[in-house]
Amino acid sequence: MHNLLIIVPICGIFILNIFLKPFRTILAFCFAAVIFISQIIISLFYASPFSLDALSSVVLLCIGIVSLASLLVTQHTVPDETKKFRFINLLITASIGMSGIVMVKDIFSMYVFLEVTAISSFILIAFDKNVEALEGSFKYMMLSAIATVLMLSAVALFLLGSVDMSFDAIQKSLFQSNNALTTLAVTLFMCGLFIKGGLVPFHGWVPDAYMTAPASASVLLAGIVTKVSGIYTLIRVTTAIFGFSDIVKNILLAIGAVSILVGAFAALGQTDFKRMLAYSSISQVGYIIIGLGTGSALGIAGAVFHLFNHAIFKSLLFVNSAAVEKGTGTNDMQRMGGISSKMPVTGFTSVVGILSVCGIPPLSGFWSKIIIIVALWQAGRYPYAVIAILASVLTLAYLLSMQRRVFFGKLKDGLDGLKEAGWGFMIASSLLAVITIGVGIFSPYILSNLILPIKEIFIK
Amino acid sequence: MNMLLLPILIPIAAAIVVLLVPQKAKKLKDALVLAGTLANLVVTIMLFKKDLAFSVPWVGFGFEFSLRIYCFSAFIISAAAFFGFLLALYANAFASQKNYSKSFSAYLLITLALLNGAVLANNLLLMLFFWESLLITQFGMIMLGGMQAFKTATKAFIIIGVSDLCMMVGMALYGNISGSFAFSNAASLTGLGGLAFVLLMIGAIAKAGSMPFHSWIPDAAVDAPLPVMAMLPGALEKLLGIYFLTRISLDMFRANPSSWVSYMLMIVGAITIVFAVMMALVQKDYKRLLSYHAISQIGYMILGIGTFVPVGIIGGLFHMINNSMYKCALFLTGGSVEKQAGTTNLEKLGGIGRNMPITFACFLITALSISGVPPFNGFFSKELVYDGALERGWIFYAAALIGSFFTAASFLKLGHAAYLGKRPQDKDNVKEAPYQMLIPMILISLACIVFGLWNILPIKFLIQPVLGVERLEGHNYYGFPSNMLLVAATAVVLIAAFLNHIYGVRKAGKGLGAVDHIYHAPILSGIYKTQAKGRLDPYNITLNMTKIFAAAASRIDKAVDWTYNVLIVSIAKAIIDTIRKAHNGNYKNYIAWSLAAAAAIVILMIRGLHA
Repeated sequence: MHNLLIIVPICGIFILNIFLKPFRTILAFCFAAVIFISQIIISLFYASPFSLDALSSVVLLCIGIVSLASLLVTQHTVPDETKKFRFINLLITASIGMSGIVMVKDIFSMYVFLEVTAISSFILIAFDKNVEALEGSFKYMMLSAIATVLMLSAVALFLLGSVDMSFDAIQKSLFQSNNALTTLAVTLFMCGLFIKGGLVPFHGWVPDAYMTAPASASVLLAGIVTKVSGIYTLIRVTTAIFGFSDIVKNILLAIGAVSILVGAFAALGQTDFKRMLAYSSISQVGYIIIGLGTGSALGIAGAVFHLFNHAIFKSLLFVNSAAVEKGTGTNDMQRMGGISSKMPVTGFTSVVGILSVCGIPPLSGFWSKIIIIVALWQAGRYPYAVIAILASVLTLAYLLSMQRRVFFGKLKDGLDGLKEAGWGFMIASSLLAVITIGVGIFSPYILSNLILPIKEIFIK
Repeated sequence: MNMLLLPILIPIAAAIVVLLVPQKAKKLKDALVLAGTLANLVVTIMLFKKDLAFSVPWVGFGFEFSLRIYCFSAFIISAAAFFGFLLALYANAFASQKNYSKSFSAYLLITLALLNGAVLANNLLLMLFFWESLLITQFGMIMLGGMQAFKTATKAFIIIGVSDLCMMVGMALYGNISGSFAFSNAASLTGLGGLAFVLLMIGAIAKAGSMPFHSWIPDAAVDAPLPVMAMLPGALEKLLGIYFLTRISLDMFRANPSSWVSYMLMIVGAITIVFAVMMALVQKDYKRLLSYHAISQIGYMILGIGTFVPVGIIGGLFHMINNSMYKCALFLTGGSVEKQAGTTNLEKLGGIGRNMPITFACFLITALSISGVPPFNGFFSKELVYDGALERGWIFYAAALIGSFFTAASFLKLGHAAYLGKRPQDKDNVKEAPYQMLIPMILISLACIVFGLWNILPIKFLIQPVLGVERLEGHNYYGFPSNMLLVAATAVVLIAAFLNHIYGVRKAGKGLGAVDHIYHAPILSGIYKTQAKGRLDPYNITLNMTKIFAAAASRIDKAVDWTYNVLIVSIAKAIIDTIRKAHNGNYKNYIAWSLAAAAAIVILMIRGLHA
C-alpha cells in the first residue's frame, strides 16, 4: 500500500499537466497541499497499514511539514501564474523523490529516488535563471555527479557478492565476505552520501546552492532535501546494512565534529542572511552525525530526533529569511535592522527558531541535543560531548547576532513601509514555531511515541 | 483525598480566599483567617495520636511526595496550629488599622501550610522544598514593616539562605552516605558523616535563630511588625528548627554522647545562652530586649539536645515548647504596650501596670516562666537541661546558670521599667488592650501554669514518646526535679538576681538603670560598646571579609574578560578568516576537497580492515 504515496502524486502531476488547463495553478496548489497534509496524517496515524517503520514515518512527517511550508511560501514568492504552476509541479516531484527514498527497501531504488530528488532540486535552484542561481545549481550538480559516481560504483561492487539489491541481502553478503572490496564499496557509498548531506569537507556546494536558490526552494532544500538524501540515507544504510564497526564510528564522529565546528565558525563570519543559515545547517547536521556516530540506540534516536527538529526549525528560519527578503529586497544583514517592529510575527517566530537551534530548554532543540550529548557521554566519547556542548555557545553567538542585526534595534532607514510579507509566510512560520514549542513541551510524549520506537528497529 | 494532605491544603486554600477578599471587607477577612487557622487546628488535633503515611511519586527520578505523621510531628504541627490560631486572633486586632493586615493574614496561613508540610515530610527532599519556601514568606513578612525593613529582610534572607545552602550540601552528603533521603537510616558520625551532621545542623539551628546566625532577629524586632516577631522568631521557627535538630540527632544519625558533635552542639548552645542574654540585659527597647532573649533561650534547647543524654533531650524539647509559649506571649504583651502606649522605648514607658492590669499579669506569669521560677513551666524544663548539662561537664552547667541569672535580672529590669515605677505624664490615659489581644495572652499564660504544675501532661504524653521506650530505659522525667542540689543552686541564683536588681535600682534611682553597673563594669563595657557599633555582628564581619574577596575577584574577572573579549575573539576571527578564504566559490576546489577526503576515508577503512 505504501506505493500509493508515490503513484498518486505522479498520476496527479500527469492529470494536472495533460487534462486540466483552466484554474490549473490553483488546482495544483490544492492538490499539493492535500498530498502533503495526507502525508503528515499518514505518517502520524496510519504508519502500519502503509508498512512504514518508525524511522521512515518520522522522516515522512518532516517531508510533509516542510513541503507544506515551502508550498505556502511559494504562494507569495513566485507571482507569475505559469511559473508558479511549474514550480509546484517540481515541488511535488521533489517530494515524490524524497518519499521514495524513505520507503524503499533496496539500495538501487534508493539511488534512483536520490536522483529524482536531486534533479528536481537542480531545477528548483536554477528556477529564476539568473547567473548566481545557475552557478549555485551547477556546483550542486557537479558535486552530486561525483556522489552519483561513487554510489553507482559502490552498487556495482555490492552486486558482485549479493544475490539482489535489497538491504537484507547486501547485509548478508557483507557478513560473509569481509574483504577489501566490500569495504571499499561501503566507503564509497558513504562518501557519496556525505556529499549529498553536505558534511565538511564535502560541503562546498551547500552555501552557494542555499543562498542562490529562490526563497521557497531554499526552504525545501535546507529544511529537508539534504537531510533526506544525505542524512536519512546514511542512518538507514549504516544501521540496516553496514553496521557500526569502530572505524565507521570514528569516521562519523570526526566528520560530525568537524562539520559542527567549521559550520559554526563560518556562520559567525557571514553577513548574508541565507548564507549564514546555510553554514548553520552544516553545523547542525554535524550534530545529527555525531549522534549517529555513537552507534548506540539512544544516540541514533537522538540523531533522528535532531533531524526532525532541525528540519522544522531550520525551515522556520528560512521561511523568515524569505519573508524578510521579500519585504526588504535583500539578504544583506548590514542593510537590515529593527524589522521586528514592522514584522512582529516573523520577529517572534524567529526568536523561537534561534532559541531552539541553540538548544535552550524547553524548546525542541534542547531535548534532541541533550539526548545526543548524553549518548556521547555514555559511549565514553567525552571530547565529542564537550565539542557538542561548546559549539552551542558558538551557535548562540551567530544566531543572536543575526537576530539583533536583523530584527531588533532601531529600524534602518528606508524600511518604514515594511509589512508582514503575506498570509502564507505567517501560516508557515506560525505552524513551524508552534511545532517547535509543542515538541519541546510535550517532548516526553513525543519521545516515547515517535522517537524511541526507532530504537527497537536496531535492537534485533 | 488523604487526611494527611489537609494540614497543607486547608491553610493554602484559606490564604487564597483571603487574598481574593477585597481590601475593604476587613471583617470578612478577619473571619476567614480565623476560620482557616481554626480548621487547621481542628485537623491537626484530629490527626493527633495517629500514625499515618501517604506517598505518591513526585517529579520523577524515584523521588516521592511522602508524608508521615507520628507522635513528634503531630506534636509540632498541633502546637504550631495553636499558635497560628491565637496569632490570627491577636493580629486581627493589633493590625486592624494597618494596611498590611490582609497580607499578614495570607502570609500567616501560607507559613502554617509550609511548616506543616516541612514537619510532615517523610524525606529530606520534600522537607527541603517546604523549608526553602518558608524563606520567601519570611522575607515577605519582614517586608511588611515597609521599605526601611528591606535591609533587615535581606539580611535575614542571606543568613538563612546561606545556612540553608549548607543544609542542602549536608543533605546531599547524607544521601550519599546512607543511600537514601529517608529520615530513618541512622548514619554513622565518623568521617563524612560528621560533616553531614554539622551541615544539616547549621540549617536547623540557623532556622531556630541560634548564634552565630542570630543577628537579623534584633534588627527585625525594630523593623518588622510585632505579630511577625511573635510568630517567627517567637514561636514557629523555634518549633521547626528544634524539630529538625532532634530528627537529625535521634533518627538520622547514631548520635552518642562521646562524639565530638555533642561537644560542638553544647558549646554553641552555651555561647548562645551567655552572649545573647548579656546583650538582652542592656537593651532599652521592649521588643529588642525580647528578641535577644529569643536567641538566648535557643541556647538552652541546643545545649539540652546536644548533651545526647535522655534527660537533656527531654529538657531541650520541653524547653522548646515552653519557650515558644512564653516567648510568644511576651512578644504579645509587647504588642499590647506598643498599640496602647504608642511606644516600646523603655525610657518613655513606666508605671503602666495599673492601666493595663491583665497585660501586666500575663507579663508577670511569662516573665517568671522564662526566668525559671517554680512552679512555672520554664523552671522544670531548665532543671532538666541543667541535669543533662551537669552530666556532661560542669562548665556547661555553669554557662546555663549564668544565663539564668542574667535572664532573671533583665526581666526584673524590663518589668520594673515598663510596668512599675513612675508613670510619665502622657501615659496617664493608656487603656487595657482589646479582648482579642488579651485572649491569646491569657490562654498562653494559663498554659504556662498548666505545663508547670502538671508537667506530667506534656512530658509523658508529648515528649517522652519522641525518644521511645528504648532510650528512656524505664525512667520518667516528669514531676518535681529529683536533684535537690540543682534546685537549691537555681534558688540561690534567682535570689542573687533579685538582690542585684535592688542594688542596681538603689544605685541608679530608677528601674531602667537596674543593670547599669553591669554595663559600666570593666571589660564588659568595652565589649558592649564594640557591639553597639555592629562590629561583633557575624553578618557584618562576613560582609567586610567579602569586600577583600571582591577586590581579588575583580582582578580575576578582568583577566577572564580579556580572555573572552580579546583572546578568544582574535582566535575566532583568525579561524573565521581562514575558513572564509578557503570558500572562494571555486567549485574545482570543492571537488578536490571531496575527492581528497573520500580517498582518505577509503584508505582509513581499508587499513582498519587489515589491522
